Amino acid sequence: MSLFILLGVSMIIYFLIRLMPVDFIQDKINAINQGGATVSEETVNAMYAMYGLGDNSFLGILEGYVSWLSALVRFDLGTSFVYGIPVADVIFEHMGVSFAVALIATIFEFMIAIPLGITAATHQYSFRDYIVTILVMIGISLPSFFFGQMLKDLLALKLGWFPASGLVNATASYTGVELLLDYVRHMFIPILTIVILSIGARMRMTRTNMLEVMNSDYIRTARAKGLSESVVINKHAFRNTLIPLVTSLAGLLPSLFSGAIITEQVFDLPGIGNIALDAMNRGDIPFIMGYNMFLALLSVIGVLLADLMYGIVDPRVKLE
Amino acid sequence: MDELKNKEEVVEEVKDTEVPLDKNVRLMSPTRMVVRRFFRSKLSILGLIMCISLFVFSFLGPLFYTEWGEIELDESGKTEYSISETTYEVNGVEYTLRQTTEKSLKDNFLAPPSSEHILGTDNEGYDIFVRLMYGGRISLIVSFIAVFLITILGVLLGGIAGFFGGVIDNVIMRLCDILICLPGIPILLIISTILDASNIDAKYRIYLLMIYLTFISWPGTARLVRGQILSLREQEYMVAAEAMGYSTPRKIFKHLVPNVMPQLIVSMSLSLGSMILYEATLSYLNLGVKAPYAAWGTMINIISTNQDILQNHLNVWVPAGVCIVIAVLGFNFVGDGLRDALDPKARR
Repeated sequence: MSLFILLGVSMIIYFLIRLMPVDFIQDKINAINQGGATVSEETVNAMYAMYGLGDNSFLGILEGYVSWLSALVRFDLGTSFVYGIPVADVIFEHMGVSFAVALIATIFEFMIAIPLGITAATHQYSFRDYIVTILVMIGISLPSFFFGQMLKDLLALKLGWFPASGLVNATASYTGVELLLDYVRHMFIPILTIVILSIGARMRMTRTNMLEVMNSDYIRTARAKGLSESVVINKHAFRNTLIPLVTSLAGLLPSLFSGAIITEQVFDLPGIGNIALDAMNRGDIPFIMGYNMFLALLSVIGVLLADLMYGIVDPRVKLE
Repeated sequence: MDELKNKEEVVEEVKDTEVPLDKNVRLMSPTRMVVRRFFRSKLSILGLIMCISLFVFSFLGPLFYTEWGEIELDESGKTEYSISETTYEVNGVEYTLRQTTEKSLKDNFLAPPSSEHILGTDNEGYDIFVRLMYGGRISLIVSFIAVFLITILGVLLGGIAGFFGGVIDNVIMRLCDILICLPGIPILLIISTILDASNIDAKYRIYLLMIYLTFISWPGTARLVRGQILSLREQEYMVAAEAMGYSTPRKIFKHLVPNVMPQLIVSMSLSLGSMILYEATLSYLNLGVKAPYAAWGTMINIISTNQDILQNHLNVWVPAGVCIVIAVLGFNFVGDGLRDALDPKARR
């Protein structure tokens, strides 16, 4: 099933590159060459051969797709124009930064959003519920580029507490623990941005699920038994709220590798999203195609994991 | 004492029965109940006010504020002074030569807020206030078109899939699976390159990009409609419709789809917000609306390359961001309020 989805996605992505006029690709290559880097003739020819470009008959397109797909199965995504090394290598090189930022942000997101969601649900329609709801709604509504730039302006440029961009302090050469601390200082604002923006959705999800569970019969039974409110909420209700949360976490795992394009661009982090954006602006077509396939693969794995996890967490659901 | 009271009550009861029963009960149509519940929540009223005021601002604003146009440069000129100091040492005495250079520039750019320019001018010399209005027009129009198209496609395909089931359902749902797995912004990057290659007019590219967004966003609506129709299909009134011999399109679009309307309206108002965010992001990445035309995202774009504006000219980029937040927040509040108002279970 997931293979079928991947096949469909790959077809669409392949179709997109066929829409690009070949002389346009040539223009882009010339521009890159003028910019200092050299795209060797071999790289270009290899790409043309891989995508089967230049032959616009139906059979030619079909042939090109098959050859591209067979290369894809061997994890051969072609050679990046800008970097001159295989696309897969570029992706793996920059995946680490994106993953670190996304992982830490997700951990904080869950740690903050779940308790907020629970208090909002248990105090439904109270002042506390309204405040939490309004705050997280504002969080959802903020565009990441705007909020990121605001935080950067305030925390980094005006107050000078954190460095404004990049991943390491270029002037100092740190090692060991100091290097790690430097990483943390550089990643702080990006992570803060992501956490504040993404808390909302998670919190709303927790709140809705919690409300649903709180209205169910077994919660009334638990209260009738005379259990304390905290036991009812934390042991009986919360455990069932966990089902969708854990499922969504499983679905989220692969996407941690995909990189946050906008946030990375704002803070100039050398993550995979920023690299992809840069690649696109410079016309590094093999990289963009590879990156898109990589993202599609991740989201297919995410769907698969979420399904599997659902069966594990909730024994009532049986996998066919 | 007690007896007396009882007697009084009895008298009152008699009085009550004299009035016809239906005069005592205020009848309310479901629509009116929804409207009342919607307006009971302060947040949804706030959201509605935010949306309406933005609409008025961007569509009626340019009719009243006519001093400047969207792509009208303020060419009143600007003089820039730069001071340079040089220190000479002649015979042991230090002299400082302070030189002031006056440079006359054609465009009055980066002007501070004044009576002439309510929010000042940007780095090109365009009036920011008026560009906010035109930017709002683009954002609102584009998102409304996108949401409208998404809903039509979603209802059509979701309705067909849910009603017929079987092979048709399978094909449409697998198509949904594929489209949902497509990465959003990265593919928009590719499409933007294709548009660059084919020399599309700067004015129209955002529409083309939004059509693509529609193309990848309809599966969400389709799934929603299909899920609802699957359960509605089994209800008695559908058997009745079958017995009446109604045609299939009539059954789907007159009997099933109206019952999905509540969920549909909620999802539409929520996706309006996300479409505005998408449009702003595209414009910020310089993929959507391009200069000289204004969009909220484009107006913020400048700070990604210009640190000076980011730090010292807040009036250039903050208003556009605030507008985006107001728009998205407004639609989210309205959507949330509608959800609560339309859901009979959430009654309180």
